[in-house]
Amino acid sequence: MARQQGWFALLLALVIASCSVCFSQPFQLGLDLRGGSQLTLEVQPTKDFPQIKDEQVEAVKAVLDRRVNSLGVSESTLQTIGTNQLILELPGEQEPSRAARVLGKTALLEFRAQKEGTKTEMKRLQSLRSVLRNIAISKGVINDENGVFPDNEKQQLKNVNKSLGLKETTGNDFEQLENLTKVINTRIVNLFEPSDLTGRDLVSAGRRQEQNLSSWEVTLTFNQSGGDKFSQLTKSIAGSERLLGIVLDGESISEASVGEQFKVAGITGGAATISGGFTADSARELEVQLRGGSLPSPVKIIQVRTIGPTLGSENIRRSLIASLSGLSLVAVFMVLFYRVPGLVAVIALSFYALFNIAVYTLIPVTLTLPGIAGFILSIGMAVDANVLIFERVKDELRRGNTLIRSIDSGFSQAFSSIIDGHITTLISCTALFYLGTGFVKGFSATLGIGVVISLFTALSCTRILLRFLMSYKSLRRPTNFLSASQLPS
Amino acid sequence: MSSSPVHKTKLIFPVTRHRYKIWLVSGLAVIISIAGLISCWLNPLIGYPLRPGLDFTGGTQIKLERQCNDECNPIRTSNVTELLREIPLNTSGNESSPNLSIARVQFLDGYKSILVRLPFLTASQAEKVAQALDPIAGPFQPGGQSIDTIGPTLGAQLLKSSLISLLVAFSGIAVYISYRFDKTFALLALVALSHDVLIVCGVFAWLGIFLNLEVNSLFAVALLTISGYSVNDTVVVFDRIREINSSANSLGFNQKIDFAVSATLSRTLYTSLTTLLPLGALIFFGGDTLFWFSVALALGVTVGSWSSIALAPSLLSLRSEV
Repeated sequence: MARQQGWFALLLALVIASCSVCFSQPFQLGLDLRGGSQLTLEVQPTKDFPQIKDEQVEAVKAVLDRRVNSLGVSESTLQTIGTNQLILELPGEQEPSRAARVLGKTALLEFRAQKEGTKTEMKRLQSLRSVLRNIAISKGVINDENGVFPDNEKQQLKNVNKSLGLKETTGNDFEQLENLTKVINTRIVNLFEPSDLTGRDLVSAGRRQEQNLSSWEVTLTFNQSGGDKFSQLTKSIAGSERLLGIVLDGESISEASVGEQFKVAGITGGAATISGGFTADSARELEVQLRGGSLPSPVKIIQVRTIGPTLGSENIRRSLIASLSGLSLVAVFMVLFYRVPGLVAVIALSFYALFNIAVYTLIPVTLTLPGIAGFILSIGMAVDANVLIFERVKDELRRGNTLIRSIDSGFSQAFSSIIDGHITTLISCTALFYLGTGFVKGFSATLGIGVVISLFTALSCTRILLRFLMSYKSLRRPTNFLSASQLPS
Repeated sequence: MSSSPVHKTKLIFPVTRHRYKIWLVSGLAVIISIAGLISCWLNPLIGYPLRPGLDFTGGTQIKLERQCNDECNPIRTSNVTELLREIPLNTSGNESSPNLSIARVQFLDGYKSILVRLPFLTASQAEKVAQALDPIAGPFQPGGQSIDTIGPTLGAQLLKSSLISLLVAFSGIAVYISYRFDKTFALLALVALSHDVLIVCGVFAWLGIFLNLEVNSLFAVALLTISGYSVNDTVVVFDRIREINSSANSLGFNQKIDFAVSATLSRTLYTSLTTLLPLGALIFFGGDTLFWFSVALALGVTVGSWSSIALAPSLLSLRSEV
């Protein structure tokens, strides 16, 4: 009897420990339960690296990590999936396009000096570009109906097109506007000579309002060699008609002239500013990209999921109702069909649920909707183990064995079935967990944990509880297990 | 176990005696399922054995909850598709502009929410489309939206990983059973499992044809769970057949199978029932994300019980002994 009480005390200790774990640690809720955005990014191969390797993904991840942190979304997570993918979760973020813009950019910053003798062409292209910019500003993107511009703007587009010496382009006005902007940009960038001063020479980036207060500028600080290169570069063009081009991802974002006074030493001090009519937001985005460094390989966003917070809490409510009603239906069933042992099974099942929750918070498992489904399903497995045992116990009682002996042999006979059933389910779970992605993983994780815990609760909790109860004489009656008519006389 | 356990068990369901009827039922179900898969495949609008959902084809799905009191005013879907056709989308780089005219619009729960399926859009394009829907179907419930976009490569990859994990799980289970029992048991467990998976797939193929129901990666998860459950169920029955067979008695092999099935019958039914109860709760309260997933599981559990009570043991009777 003392031995049984020892086991019982151990079980109680486990329950208390699980309770304290559950209350002290917060739950990790998935995005489908709390709302937010999830982005899947794929590292793209380049000419230099046709084959994506782990190091590259790691390098990309490090850069993205820095960018995400400066985005200021709390509790964001970034994990590697498979060989070339990253999953970024941004809880609470409802505008994934912002994150996409910041993350997807390579942010390769280059400083280039204008080629000799290209002054007129540069002036011409810049003025054409400002025509296009004005048109773009006067349209929102979505407000415009059918993408048709008023006549004067249509004419302007035609003029620019002609001036660039292009053939008549097809497509609606919007597409034309975009195409022309692209052509001009490429031509402007081509007027500059590449230099060896790039974003790699940056130490930090910041932003501040320009003096006129209507726009923002991005400030840069170079490292030692970057500062030297910058002063060389500015020295070479100071006072000439040539401009300094700041090119981001192959697009010229700013062209600055360098004053006569820098003729001797160039701009020293290792600092520079980029002003290009930034808004507060766009300056901040550039700052984040530059501060995070440029991506060693380009990334492509291949999946975006956004779930609103209300929908998330609705999902929590629904799965809570489903879990609780599922559990109570099973509880009613067990007590009706198995009497005292049924009651024991219900207690063991509530321990089972408790242990599961404790393990979720300890590991920690991020709970998602499919994850909860996995848990609810694993309840079925846990009940099955108890049913197997109790059916065996009943068989033994029908055969006329004593209660204690029936219980013991019930457990030992059900053992191999329980083990086989649990292991086959565990095999499927393992296959799903290692080969599946995203929420498939969440489902297999909770189901797998459930199966392991169910093995423990069915074989020990139920047994300990049952034997403990059998130490009370009033409960030690076969009729508590089986109706009298089924017992051998 | 001094006395033989067999004689105390009532023979409720003599499977081996009814084996031709059992095979007829299962055979018919399998044939109807295969017919469903084939007609789905031959359907020019589908072209696959099951109607693939967003997860596998790639694309963008926008779901918005409308803000309306008791009743939501109905909107013609054609009005929405027309509106969609006219949304100008910014494209970046050399990507071609997505064709919004192939959008599919659906209203759910009596116009309470709107579901739009589009080709693959970038995050900002999807946001733009969601905003553009506001004047015609809005106002929308704040925080009640969900936007999913899945690139075509990811879709193909998901399909591949689902199929691979199914195969790996199958072979893992087969290896385990051949180790614990023998090769015949493993083979029969796999036959029972394929039977269950095939029937669930068949039902969903027919649903795909008649209700336009699509399968997503949750369905693949359901199939895997069903296979785990089905084998588990079958193994318990096999376990008992082996046990009765090894106990000394004068019964023939077929009778031993019958007794084993009857001895495990109440357990199999109770277990199915206790699994179906929480699944029923999921079907009724789980919301539309989990609805068809739970239906697939409930169907699988039901078919799985049939195959482990009737099909697998009756097939085992083709052998003369274990």
